[in-house]
Formats: sequence, C-alpha cells, structure tokens
Amino acid sequence: MDLAIKKYIIFSICFAILAILIGRLIQLQLLNVEEFGKKSQKNSVKIITDIPARGLMYDRNGKVVVDNKPAYSLMITHSQFNFDNLNEVANLIEVTPEYINEILSKVKGTNRFSPVKIKRDVEFRVISYIEENKERLRGVDYQVEALRFYPNTFKASHTFGYTKEISEKQLDKQVGNYYTQGDVMGSSGLERFYENYLRGEKGRKLVSVDVKGKEVGSYNDGKDDIKPVNGFDLLLSLDSELQEYAENRLGSRRGAIIALDPRTGEILCMVSKPDFDLSLFSGPTDSKVFADLLLHKDKPLFNRVVQSRQPPGSTWKMLMGFAGLGSGVITTTSTISCGGSFRYGNRTFEDHGAYGSINVTRAIEVSANVFFYKLGLKVGLDNYNKYGKMFGFGLKTGVDIPGEISGLLPSEEYFNKVYGPKGWTQGFLVSLGIGQGELGVTPVQMVAYTAAISMEGLYIQPHIVRRIVNPITGQEEILEFEQRRIELPNEYFKAIKKGMYLVVNGNGTAKNIRSSEFVLAGKTGTAQVTKGNNHSWFVGFAPYDNPQIAVCVLGENAGWGSQFAAPLAAAIMIRYLSGNTEDVYEEGSTVIVRD
Amino acid sequence: MANKFLEKFDTFTLVVAVLIVSVGLVAIYSATFSSEIDSDLFYKQLYFSFVGLAIMIGVSYLPPRYLSNISYMIYIFSLILLVLVLVFGKSISGSKSWFSIGGFGLQPSEFAKIATVLALSKFLTSEEKERNINKPLDFLKACAIVLIPVALIMKQPDLGTSIVFLSMLLPVFFWAGLSPFVLFTIISPIVISLIALFLGDYYFYAALLLVLIVLILFKRKVYLLIIVFLINVAAGISVEKLFSTLQPYQQKRIMTVFDPTSDPLGSGYNVIQSKVAIGSGGLFGKGYLQGTQTQLKFIPEQWTDFIFCMIGEEFGFIGAALLVMLYIILIIQFINNAYISKNRFLGLSCIGIASIMMFHLVINVGMTVGIMPVIGIPLPLVSYGVSSLLSFMIMIGIGMNTYRNRKIFT
Repeated sequence: MDLAIKKYIIFSICFAILAILIGRLIQLQLLNVEEFGKKSQKNSVKIITDIPARGLMYDRNGKVVVDNKPAYSLMITHSQFNFDNLNEVANLIEVTPEYINEILSKVKGTNRFSPVKIKRDVEFRVISYIEENKERLRGVDYQVEALRFYPNTFKASHTFGYTKEISEKQLDKQVGNYYTQGDVMGSSGLERFYENYLRGEKGRKLVSVDVKGKEVGSYNDGKDDIKPVNGFDLLLSLDSELQEYAENRLGSRRGAIIALDPRTGEILCMVSKPDFDLSLFSGPTDSKVFADLLLHKDKPLFNRVVQSRQPPGSTWKMLMGFAGLGSGVITTTSTISCGGSFRYGNRTFEDHGAYGSINVTRAIEVSANVFFYKLGLKVGLDNYNKYGKMFGFGLKTGVDIPGEISGLLPSEEYFNKVYGPKGWTQGFLVSLGIGQGELGVTPVQMVAYTAAISMEGLYIQPHIVRRIVNPITGQEEILEFEQRRIELPNEYFKAIKKGMYLVVNGNGTAKNIRSSEFVLAGKTGTAQVTKGNNHSWFVGFAPYDNPQIAVCVLGENAGWGSQFAAPLAAAIMIRYLSGNTEDVYEEGSTVIVRD
Repeated sequence: MANKFLEKFDTFTLVVAVLIVSVGLVAIYSATFSSEIDSDLFYKQLYFSFVGLAIMIGVSYLPPRYLSNISYMIYIFSLILLVLVLVFGKSISGSKSWFSIGGFGLQPSEFAKIATVLALSKFLTSEEKERNINKPLDFLKACAIVLIPVALIMKQPDLGTSIVFLSMLLPVFFWAGLSPFVLFTIISPIVISLIALFLGDYYFYAALLLVLIVLILFKRKVYLLIIVFLINVAAGISVEKLFSTLQPYQQKRIMTVFDPTSDPLGSGYNVIQSKVAIGSGGLFGKGYLQGTQTQLKFIPEQWTDFIFCMIGEEFGFIGAALLVMLYIILIIQFINNAYISKNRFLGLSCIGIASIMMFHLVINVGMTVGIMPVIGIPLPLVSYGVSSLLSFMIMIGIGMNTYRNRKIFT
C-alpha cells in the first residue's frame, strides 16, 4: 500500500476522533448546558456514612447489660471547610487547631467530600452553636452516634471490654477496607471477640449539595443509598446478680473468680481484680486516663481469668490422680505410704502431716504432699503431659474472651531449653507432682478442668455468649462450642470426686466451708510464688450429686487456700444455688487448714 | 540564513506544543491557587516546562544516526529501570511506579514509552537485516519489544500506562507495511468481542455478517477466510460465556469500567462531577478562576488526570474544543513529518508517538466527558506531572528532529 494512502487513512481516523470528541462537547456544553448548569448549582454529591447501632448485650435473664445511648460527634467536611474558622471551631470543642489540622490532613481522595469525625461526644451547647452559625461555619456538622452505656451495679470490665476509636496502625493493618478514620471498634473483651457481629454493616447516603455545601435533598432519589444493618445482639450466660456478688466479695483484693455451669460450659460470672470503669472508655478517651490504667502496678487492664499464668498448687492433685490411675501406676484402692516428709537425692521435701498408707481418694482429702511427690516420680513426665493435655492444660480453652494464654505444661524439651542441654532430671517431677515448679495454669483452665471432673469426663469449651440475635431476621442463632469426652473409666472419676467431696465434708482441708444446705465439693490449693505471700486457690463444684456450678477462685498473695479462696468459692456456689439470696461469706476464715 | 534556518526548524510543531503546555500551566494554576498545600505545584510545572523546552530543542538537533544507534541501549536501560522500580519503587495509591529522588518523583514508565517507540522503529527498519513485518518471526519479535515493558508495568500494577504501550502496535505495524488482511485478522475479533459483550446478540450477528463480507472482499484462500471467520465467532461466543461464569459483583465491576455512573461513589464519582463541571461551562465558560465545580474541589486532584474538566468549565466549549483541535493538529503534523521523512526509522517513530498522543487524548478527554472508561492516564503536556511532561516534550523533540532531517536517508 502506498504511504500516501496510509497517510490519508490515518488522517481520516484522526478527523473521526476529532468529530466524536467535539460532538460530545457540543452535546454536553451547548445542548445540555441548562441541565448541567442547574446541576452544578445543586447536584454535587456528598457521601454520608450511615453508622449502624452496635449490638447490645443481654444477661442470662434477658436484662440489658451493655446498652447504647445517643451522643453527638462533631464532623468536618474537608472540601467545604473554611480554614478561617479553624480557631473558632477548635475553641468550641476545646482542642488545639493543630489537632483538627492533623485529622484533616489525613483525609485523601473522595473522602474530602465526606464529613470526617473530629471529636466524639461533644456537649449539647456545641451543637446549638453550630446550628446557630450554620451559614458561616460551612462544612462543620454533627452526627448522632451511639455511645456505650452500662446500666449496671457491677463492672464486668474485662468481660464486656471497651470500644475505642480505631488507630492509624489498625487502619493500615486492617484486612479489607471496612473501617475508616473515626470508626469505633471493639478493643478488648467481648467487644473485641465479637467485633464482626457487634459492629453491623455501615450504610451510606448520597446527598446532593449546592455550591455552598448546603444539602438540598437526596441524590438520585436515594436509589444508590445503602441502609445500615445494625449489629448482632449478644445473649450472654452471665448472671448479673452473681457477678455483682462476686465482684463485691472479692473487693479490693487482687485475684480472679470464674464460675460456670458444668453441664453447658456457660460462664455465670467472671471477675478479675483490680478492674476499671468501662464508662471511662465510652466517650473520647482521655489518653492520660488510659496511660494510668496501662501503667498501674497492679495491671487493672490485665484479665487475670484468661491471662494470668500461675502454679496451681494442690488444686493440681486431682489431675495427678487421673495420671496415676490412667497410666496404671496406682489403682483406686492401692496405697502409698505417707510419712511426714520425702527424701529425694539429697533434698528433703516436707509435708504438713503424716498419714500412713493411704489411697488416692484419701490423699486428695488431706492433700498429702508425699503421696503426690511419689506419684509424680512414678507417673513420669510423658504421662504427666499426656493427662495434663487431656484436661486442657497447656492449651487454650477457646473461651470467647480475647487474649487467652495457654499456660505452660513443661515438656522435656522445655527443661533442656531453659536449664541447658540435659537440664531435665527426674527430680523436677517431685514438685511438679504437687502443682508447683514450672507448671503454669490460668483460672479459666482450672474451672474447665473442675467442671469436667464434676461431669465425670465431659469437657466443654467455656463460653459466655449463648446465642446471637441476627438483626435482619430477628432470629436467634445458636453458637457452637466444642464438647468432648475424656476417655477414662468412670470409677476413676468416682474415686477422685469422692476425694473432693471429703475435702469439704470429711476431715479435709476445707471442712470449714461445709454447708448443711448444699453438698459442696472441691479442692484447696496454696501456691508458692517467687514474690510475696502464697496464692490462695480453690476449685469446686456443687451440688455434689448433680453439679450445677463449678467455680475457681484465685487470690493473689492471699495465703492458704482454706483461708481465703475456699470460703469465697463456697459463698459464690451457695449464693448461686440459693437463687442469689443467701450470703454466707465471712472474710478471713478463722479456721486454717494447711494443704 | 534565516530562510535556511526556518526551512529546517519545525516552528509549527514548536508553536503548537508551546501553546498546549501554556494551556496546561494556566489550568494547573487555576486548579491549585486556592490551596496552600498544592499551590507550589504550578511553579514546579512551570520550572520543568522550561527545562523540557530546552531538552525538546536539544533533542531536535540530535543526529538521526546517533538516535538510531542508542535506541536499543535506551530501551534496555529503561527495562532495567522498570525492574528496579518494582524492587525499590515507592508505592503511591497501591502501585509501585515511582522512584523518589531528592524530593522528586520519577516515573520510569513514562520514559519507557519513548524507549519502546525508538526500539520498535529501529527493529523494523534495521539496516543490517531485511525485516518483514509480514513474516511471523519478525512480527512476533516486534510484538515482544512492546510486550516486555507492558508486562513489567502491569506488575506495578498500572493498567492505564500499559495499555498506552499497546496502542502504538497496530499503527506502527500498519505504517511499516503489515498487510491489511493480517491487520483485519487482529482487529476484528477484538471489536467483535466488545460488541458481543456490550451490545448484545443482534449486533453480534450483524457484525459477524459484516466481517464475512469484508473477508470475502480480501479474496484470499478460502481456508484462510474460514479460519479468520471462525476466530471471530469463537471470540464473540467465548467472551460472553466467560462473562456469564463471573460472579455478579465481578460482572458489575467490569460494567462499571464502561459505565461509571453505575458506581456513583467509586470511579463514577469523578465522572459525574466532571461531566457536571464541563457541561456547566457552556459556550464561553464561567471565566478564569471562576469555575464553581472545580474551585470547590469536587474532583480530587483535578490538576492531574481530570484537568480537562477545569478547562471545560472555565473556558467553555470554545476553550475545550480549541484544545482538542490543537492536539489533532499536532498529531497530524507528526503524521505529515512521518510521510515526508526519507528516514524510515524517524518516520516510524513519529507514527508511534502520534498514536501514543492520540490514545492519551481519546482516553483522557473521553473519560472526563463520560464516553470512555476511567483509566488514569494524563492529558499530554497539560496534566500536572514532571515525568509525563518531560517525556512528552522529548517526543515532540523527536518529531521536530524528523522534520529537520526529513531529506536525509539514514
């Protein structure tokens, strides 16, 4: 083909394109100019996010325990804001102009046409001021938003958890792009664990605005709007009255209480002390308040129920019983002789009494240390770990509270790592046998283990949410939690449970808590710790024949198990079983039995 | 003396280019002057316009042989830069296409456009070997020259810029002598699939009939005609089938590219606003610095890809149409230069550059007036952006060089 022809072919394509572009410009600018002229006066679009109501939480009796209340947030639309008004607005809401500038400078792209949140929970006078000066304060606006509200006489701070405005870091790291600056998200407790249910789905509204930024109606008759979907409500197994009782009884001590229904794994109350006031977090959180809580020496933000790793002391002895029985080194009737002390190598391990030749049931009743020193050595570390895992130790229970740790069930490798190659020796088994040494457990593991014993082998993942309510269908959805059977002969459970019965109702270490009304069973523990007084433990369940509650109490540096934890645990069990009416608690039992 | 200078110097191209750059500066000033943060962009662009002008004139004086000799070297160098930017580049809005050097962003893909045009032209006009674009091997090699940078830029990922590279392929091949039949074989399935996807079955059948008629007119061997026809049928059907297997949200995403109004919050937002801005300009516009839409900044970063709506609003139909005409004049001048040049290498380069400019123009202006998908590529010489500005000015320089050396064969 001749170049000249090619040239003219290309020329004609160029002219065709020219014609199309000019034609389109004529269409837009000359033929439709009226329409667009009006549009440019009226029809610019502003995007407003419609925030859904966060799901509520109800206790087991259907009472609202985490509620929402309306509050106003001050918003600024970057593209319309007149920076001459910056100081005025900053004064109004008592922040520095730099603070507002910094927030606005992060707004990019089309977000410049949407309002961004500057401050949450502003006072009503701010709103009326904005309304009065609306013409002048272009781009300044407010939004009604829900804040958390707790209509309770108890705190349950660690359980409910708090919500916080999303941080820049979280924004960068988020999967997907649901959250934007100024959004509130669950930061701890149930608020965090069930964030995806509680938050709902944001909606959006398109609003036509005129050149002055004034809203003149909905865009496209609202056809492009998306309605927000409210969050799921959580129906908790929490017993508010029991929770309040437990919080009050633990008082200002450091420690943890958790009680659950062993038949279902539903948590009835959960206390970690010291705690904090959740309402501090419901509005704009003062960074100083937060820093104070974070740096406090007693760590109030720390949820001891799921995050505290402690040696269990004598409350571990049931586990040793199962390990001995299961691995065949003892039977339910075989005996071990218990003098007042036990010599291993060149060390002497003391006991608080001499009991002669006793079986495992009796050994639990009197908490005979020598029995379990010897048993520990016989069982060996492999079985120790095997049975520990069987009852959920060294593993997370999967409780629906974030931040749970798995504790420590030490293996041979662990010892070799910590104490150097060949660091492991049989000698460690002696103290591991009585729940001391490297062993670390959490209160939630202890209560799950106690519940499994009371139910003769039914181990249920502890949980506090029973059902969630779908906001669209209004239907309740049941959450599935793991249940498994611990495969050990029933007679083992009978023998161990009998021991726990005798601890309270025989001549045991917690006979001081015997109740004439309810048959309690349990086990005391006194764990030696590196710093300060011993930790006081009690795990128990009741009624003995038909368990309805299992409980674990940990009092940090509170002394003997029988002295602090046992009376408290007994009081909680009796309170619950009596329909939250009886109060048998007397602080500081006068009867102290050493375990 | 003066006459001789004028005879050699492409004053026409220079004047048109300078006019376009000036329009850009005026528009960037209007788009940014009211903002404290953005107002220094104008001065930056102004400064680099002068730098660019110097480079442009410099390039127009380069000896053609020298330009031809370094073509491959520049090409290899720019490929290396494209690889490096994937490793060391700075990520801006999700794509790694920038080097940050002393406060300035450098976008290697902009310069790779020039390198690729030169390398492709050099390959097709090689003096050592007889190349024939109608030979499959040469054809594939030529395609590879373009596809390598395309692949690298896709990786950034910058879809818009990589499509720009593809736009030079067919015009350059056409100019280099690719047979109309092959050209038709390439273009028709693409057009057919677009028709099948967006216009529906009846248009698809009608288009197939048209293809058949054209094929018969080519008077090639029957089996060839049948094969090409079957390719067209298969393309149309498979694209429909493929589309129907997609999830509804994926389908929506594809349709949004071609009909932005269906997503008024995403890419559609800009298009709605820019149509309003341009449309409200009317015949004479609202006057300089008086555009309500653009001055209120309803369009984000309107000094870059959406700058045309600034011009449309403030200078109206007269301004917008004049600017479009200036571009067409510039492009026609390039084609003319290609036609009159005895140097085939420079001639082909001019065709490549003209197609790149045309593609930018059609996509960019088409997007702001709502007849093209939203693909983020700049308006040549007008949109703010140092890399793009310099790269286009170098291209203009090559065009002027072609005119200057039009009577020299090699």
